[in-house]
Amino acid sequence: MQEDLACTLLSKHFGEFAAVDEVSFSIPRGAFFSILGPSGCGKTTLLRMLAGFQQPDSGDILIKGSSVLHTPPNKRPVNMVFQHLALFPTMSVAQNIAYGLKRKGVPKREHATLIDDVLAKVQLPGYGDKRIDQLSGGQKQRVAIARCLVLNPAVLLLDEPLGALDLKLREQMKIELKRLQREFKTTFVYITHDQSEALVMSDHVAVMNKGRFEQVGTPQELYYQPKTAFVASFVGDSNQYAGTVKEQSGQLITIVTEHGVRLLSHGGQPMPLGSPVTLFIRPEVMQISTSRPEAEQDNCLQVTILRMLFDGARSQLQVETSEGAVLTVALPQTADYQALEPGRSVYVSWQASQCLCFPVATETQPEAVQ
Amino acid sequence: MIPSISSSRFYRVSYLCYVVLFFIFLITPLLVVAAFSFNDSLFPSLPWNGFTLDWYLGENAPKLGLFHDDALLESIGVSVQVAIVTTLASLALATCNAFLFEREQFPAKNFLYVLMLMPLVVPGVILGVSILVFSSTVANWFEVQFDYDFEALRPGLVLVTLGQFAFITTIATLVISARLRKFDITQEEAAMNLGASRLTAIATVTLPFLKPALFGAGVVAFLMSFENFNTTLMLVGSDAPLTIAMFDRLREGSTPVLNAVSVLLMVGSACLALVSLFTQRPVKQ
Amino acid sequence: MSAEPSNANRTQYRLGFWLLLAPIVLWLGLLIILPHIDMVLVSLRERIASRQYEFSFSNYTAFFTEPLYWNTFVRTAVMSILATVLTLIIAFPVSFYIAKVLTGRPKIALFILCLIPFWVSELVRTYGWMILLRETGLISGALQWLGLVDQPVEMLYNDVAIMVGLIYTSMLFMVVPLVTTLDSLDNSLIEAGYDLGGSSWHVMRSIVIPHAMPGIMSGCIVVFMLTLGNYLTPTLLGGKDSLWFTEQIYTQFITRFNWEQGAAFGILLLILSSLIVWLGLKITRQSFTRVMS
Repeated sequence: MQEDLACTLLSKHFGEFAAVDEVSFSIPRGAFFSILGPSGCGKTTLLRMLAGFQQPDSGDILIKGSSVLHTPPNKRPVNMVFQHLALFPTMSVAQNIAYGLKRKGVPKREHATLIDDVLAKVQLPGYGDKRIDQLSGGQKQRVAIARCLVLNPAVLLLDEPLGALDLKLREQMKIELKRLQREFKTTFVYITHDQSEALVMSDHVAVMNKGRFEQVGTPQELYYQPKTAFVASFVGDSNQYAGTVKEQSGQLITIVTEHGVRLLSHGGQPMPLGSPVTLFIRPEVMQISTSRPEAEQDNCLQVTILRMLFDGARSQLQVETSEGAVLTVALPQTADYQALEPGRSVYVSWQASQCLCFPVATETQPEAVQ
Repeated sequence: MIPSISSSRFYRVSYLCYVVLFFIFLITPLLVVAAFSFNDSLFPSLPWNGFTLDWYLGENAPKLGLFHDDALLESIGVSVQVAIVTTLASLALATCNAFLFEREQFPAKNFLYVLMLMPLVVPGVILGVSILVFSSTVANWFEVQFDYDFEALRPGLVLVTLGQFAFITTIATLVISARLRKFDITQEEAAMNLGASRLTAIATVTLPFLKPALFGAGVVAFLMSFENFNTTLMLVGSDAPLTIAMFDRLREGSTPVLNAVSVLLMVGSACLALVSLFTQRPVKQ
Repeated sequence: MSAEPSNANRTQYRLGFWLLLAPIVLWLGLLIILPHIDMVLVSLRERIASRQYEFSFSNYTAFFTEPLYWNTFVRTAVMSILATVLTLIIAFPVSFYIAKVLTGRPKIALFILCLIPFWVSELVRTYGWMILLRETGLISGALQWLGLVDQPVEMLYNDVAIMVGLIYTSMLFMVVPLVTTLDSLDNSLIEAGYDLGGSSWHVMRSIVIPHAMPGIMSGCIVVFMLTLGNYLTPTLLGGKDSLWFTEQIYTQFITRFNWEQGAAFGILLLILSSLIVWLGLKITRQSFTRVMS
């Protein structure tokens, strides 16, 4: 498959600080590619280098197979939707869209058709004469995207454009962006710190941390087969449980917690006996039962209900284990669990194959992000 | 104190009276000037001798009206000329300054900024005399060295324009900088991203954004130049701008033709003020 | 490899930077700094023969030995400070009324009403006061008509007339910064002050005035400068004996053609104004750049 955008060993330092550290990746034509990371991980710097607003210290950027390192930003075949959109307030919607066409030297008589076409595609037909300050937040998003897509860029860069929208509109725009990307068949590079945006829209997601890519994969891979502790904790919600390795047979690892509780887990890499590890258990893999399950479970703990967190279909239960650890368990809204109340003793159980463990990193890991 | 906090009726009424008195104080002198331009008398004072338009339209002395008073009309022309040149020059420099102070980082930037503000705290008379002294030093040097008389550096309209330009630029810089500070620089990046070169981006995106400030600063600069007295007084040569011409007449003993000029100035300024007010505010639907 | 374009970029930037820097340096250098340096030099010389000068402090000693000169100097300074304080006292309640009591259309209308007189030349405004205050003027006429006096009264050519004219002329430069800073004060701060049990006076002193301080200072500095450097108002409303220092400077330069003495006076006035502005900023702990912008 031909690649629209590829980077090799791209680095950018600000003084001693490595904002982007030897990042390499390639994006197939027409893909929706997200770069997901906490703020300060270097994703904005990376995007600005792709757009040409910052020069990399080393490495190369290839767009459609040729290097653009020596191409100034106004000559690169990439366009960008800015974080705060950067629509020109002194111009109308049509003038905003025509701006790039004029710079490209597209004959004036073709402008009207092109603008009408792109406005129809972003579902804003007839909005050409509106002023920017007459548009709603979602409409501005669409104009910002239309302004770029009318130029048929090789790659469209999006710098957290949904950040400023309220929750409901953001949900709608996620679907809308995905639809637009399918329709225009343009390669999208989308950066965000919101994992839900990245998971819902992308074909591929790169998780970025401290200037490096931790893992690149499909949303499903990142969620179910995280390769590092950072990815496991950053993508999706997880309960974290500390312990040491007692035994390893193949991919099955036996872990003992501080108070002697034995837990079984899946582990993707060999780990020395006695080394500290962190266990990651997703809230939705744990089963709740009021009596000890009859069938043999890999892991089963007796716990006390601390509080119920009602949130409709996303309701959760906070429970405390006998050794004082607090776990969050998904609470299905079915009749079976109607009788639960704080203070009651219940059992939670899960399969070893549904949880993961990683060696404790020397550096601190970020809090799991909702 | 503020409407949401209740206060006594006496307090509110007396506060209102104070504000009303203030505005009477503000408006009366102007109303008086305007009213006496229509008095059929040779002096702008009581008694009221009846209404006349002679001080605007009168063709013969002693009641030579404004529109036939060639000396006054000529001085208005001089003032307009000086004001236009000053306005354009100070706008151009002020825009450069705004970009320099808002966009560039360089050593001694703060020092230069303070220096740029200095003309605001130098009294106009002193600014005038300092330029007068310096220009004649330079002119004398030219005369001694090259035996050439540098006319432009002797008191006259060139020096008047330079003197006004010297302090009006500071004011224009402050106005334009304040607007440029509000400009979202990513808009320029967006323009470049859409294919514009840096200069094109500034011309097509940044300058249109600055337009209200440029216009506002232009109006202020024009009026300040037109009305300037202190600096002009020290630098003026044989061609007198309007304020100087009026001052000379006032000292000789005034006729109501000065009231007529004043009314003309009021109308002109009010028009400029209204125009600038309406263009500054974006039209809301 | 990647150094080339960034270098080219940098050169372009540098060039742009110098192009921006050159005009401001020319402006400040040729029209502000060099003239003032030259004025200092001229003030420090004495003419001993035609086109023959030597270094001397005589222009400054003349100022201190001639009572008329320094009396005028002190009088100008004191009256300017007084005018500034009075302007502030008169303008503050009005600014507060516009900024905080009024809302919507009346607020904008009144603010514009405040501005309009000052779009008109200072000369016209002073002329208005002359017509009002002179012997044959309106106030004198009104007093006679009311029977309060039985002959025309001359209210022009005294210190009160000068003061009224100075305050009137400076009003705008006090009202605008005051309204701007007071407007930026969030009403809820005042409400919170009351809510926590403050009296009107206390809220004014501990919340409103500290917030308005930059505006108060910038208004005061500008008004003080304009008053100190005013020539028109004292001359026209104060007449021959107005004893304003700028008149001395004008007389030395234009009437007596004694530029050395005039330059010395100019420097002294400049020192005085800088000193008082500096003191004002020190006392209120405000920074010059913040106040002026």
